[in-house]
Amino acid sequence: MNALKATNVVKYFRTPEPFKVLKNVSFEVDKGEFVSIVGKSGSGKSTLLYLLSTMDTDYEGSININGTLVTGKKQNELAAFRNEHIGFVFQFHYLLPEFTLLDNVMLPALKLNSKSKEEIQNRSMELLDMLGLKGYEHKRASNLSGGQQQRVAIARALINDPAIIMGDEPTGNLDSQNTKIVFDIFKDLAREKGQTIITVTHDEEFAANSDRIIELRDGEIIGTQEN
Amino acid sequence: MNTDYKIAWVHLTSRIRQLLVATLSVTFGISMYIFMNSFMSGVNDTQTEITFTSMAHIRIYNDLPTGTPIPIMKEPMEKNTILMVDNARHILYTEGMKNTDPIVTAVSKISDVQAVTVQMNENVFLQNGVSKVSASLSGIDVPNENKVFNTSHYMVSGDLKELDKRTDAIVLGTGLASSLGLSNGDNVTLTTSDGVTKNYKIVGLFETGSKGTDQTKAMISIYAARQLYSKNKSYATDIQININDYNEARAVAVEMKGITSYKIEAWQEGNSQLDSANVLRNITAMAVSLTILIVAGFGIYNIMNMTVNEKIKEIAILKAMGYNGKDIVKIFLTQSVVIGFIGGIIGLILGFTISKIVSKIPFKIATLDTLPINFNPKDYILAFVFGIFITFWAGYLPAYKASKVDPVDIIRG
Repeated sequence: MNALKATNVVKYFRTPEPFKVLKNVSFEVDKGEFVSIVGKSGSGKSTLLYLLSTMDTDYEGSININGTLVTGKKQNELAAFRNEHIGFVFQFHYLLPEFTLLDNVMLPALKLNSKSKEEIQNRSMELLDMLGLKGYEHKRASNLSGGQQQRVAIARALINDPAIIMGDEPTGNLDSQNTKIVFDIFKDLAREKGQTIITVTHDEEFAANSDRIIELRDGEIIGTQEN
Repeated sequence: MNTDYKIAWVHLTSRIRQLLVATLSVTFGISMYIFMNSFMSGVNDTQTEITFTSMAHIRIYNDLPTGTPIPIMKEPMEKNTILMVDNARHILYTEGMKNTDPIVTAVSKISDVQAVTVQMNENVFLQNGVSKVSASLSGIDVPNENKVFNTSHYMVSGDLKELDKRTDAIVLGTGLASSLGLSNGDNVTLTTSDGVTKNYKIVGLFETGSKGTDQTKAMISIYAARQLYSKNKSYATDIQININDYNEARAVAVEMKGITSYKIEAWQEGNSQLDSANVLRNITAMAVSLTILIVAGFGIYNIMNMTVNEKIKEIAILKAMGYNGKDIVKIFLTQSVVIGFIGGIIGLILGFTISKIVSKIPFKIATLDTLPINFNPKDYILAFVFGIFITFWAGYLPAYKASKVDPVDIIRG
């Protein structure tokens, strides 16, 4: 079963004037695959990611995630779907600054509400530990460095064991050392936990080390490259 | 604890200053609402109380019939005869009511009736040496008069009960006594419209606060009055009735219709100005205090709007993580309802305190020693309900706006 399947996806920007951003994009991603989407600014790669993320629902064509057709679902259904199946890592961490690291990581799991609070807390501690943030659990998110914050954001993306982790320039704001740490975490997740990872990136080295590169230009896939 | 409430709680406690300002605006609005309404209802009650010192809720008296006068002769049978009555008018054939006992008995049986008294009201002249003043003399049934008008409460000297002890005892209003140059214990000469003259001894003075009454009214026992005018034992000019709720006077008056053919008049009929003044005062108080509450609502709206704008990135990420519109509304609505609730409780306490303090401040006016303030549970409940209602909507609008945030717009920048 594919982790993700996009079929004939077409997307228009309506303002300032109608503009076709994505032209019949179709591709599949296997379970446990680490895919990078690359392309120049304006190629439509971020737009594509936000369609895949289910947050943007204004498109033609269809998107299947984990065997579920997400196209045409209602906003609230999609919110619940994202909560359970998709983890996000953005260029900026978007942590809740007034909450502790632990609380930030726990939030999506508390929303899903499928485990007890103790289990969630233990799992969050484990994840923070795994990402090298042991001892910082009760610090406020606003008191950390950029690299540390990004790692917290990754822990938050992992808390519900999502099938797919999506990253929008996850290393765009990090130095080379932190980029390497984040990359290694992603690689491990794909190898060992079988989690699918789709990231949009500008970083050629980052892309070159992933399993597959999908290159976009002017809203069309111009090539895929298996590494 | 539910995660939504937890987020709301963290938002609230991380901005103590804004929370304080928002809470204060509700507190101020609610306490002002309570104070204004307590004060206005106090003023209304005092006004009504003064009014009812000289006026009962329902009055029965002998009045000229209204409408077109009907000729006593029957319409002639023959077609070629015309009945012409020139200058037709009503004539009062009898004065006062000759036999009031059965009416009083029947009226007392009505459940809403609180007290009934009979009066004999006449216009007289009072004379002390060269000063001569016209006065309205009231022959009263002392115990029942007290029940209806609480007359002994307004005695400033002497004792009302003295009237029952001697037939030549009289009680005067303070204004009337001073315009005659008399005080308690002095003698006064009374002349009726029929020219009968009699000497009375002043056994007391009263002051109701209504100047018209205090300057013209004199009271003697109704038995003495009947004697003075040579009337029979149950004669009276007025039957005065008090009922449990004076606002119901009209309805009770209608209920009494069958008892007598004399005129039955509810107080509102002759005093619509009092009735309307009460209503107008209530409307004013309501309008002012609601305005204050609405302004407080705008304050909350503003603060919540700012909060939503400030937290827009957090809202976007929460939505990306799977929080739906309902959760977002809950997070922000909870905050404003908490503000409304805390502000409301403090407002109730503050409103009560202000009312209590103002009700103790000495304020000499007419017969009042302090400003009149009522402590009505209804005002407090309404203030709280309005307060919560307004904060709810003031919070709901920004919360709704927050729930409509499109995470893609915010995260992509």
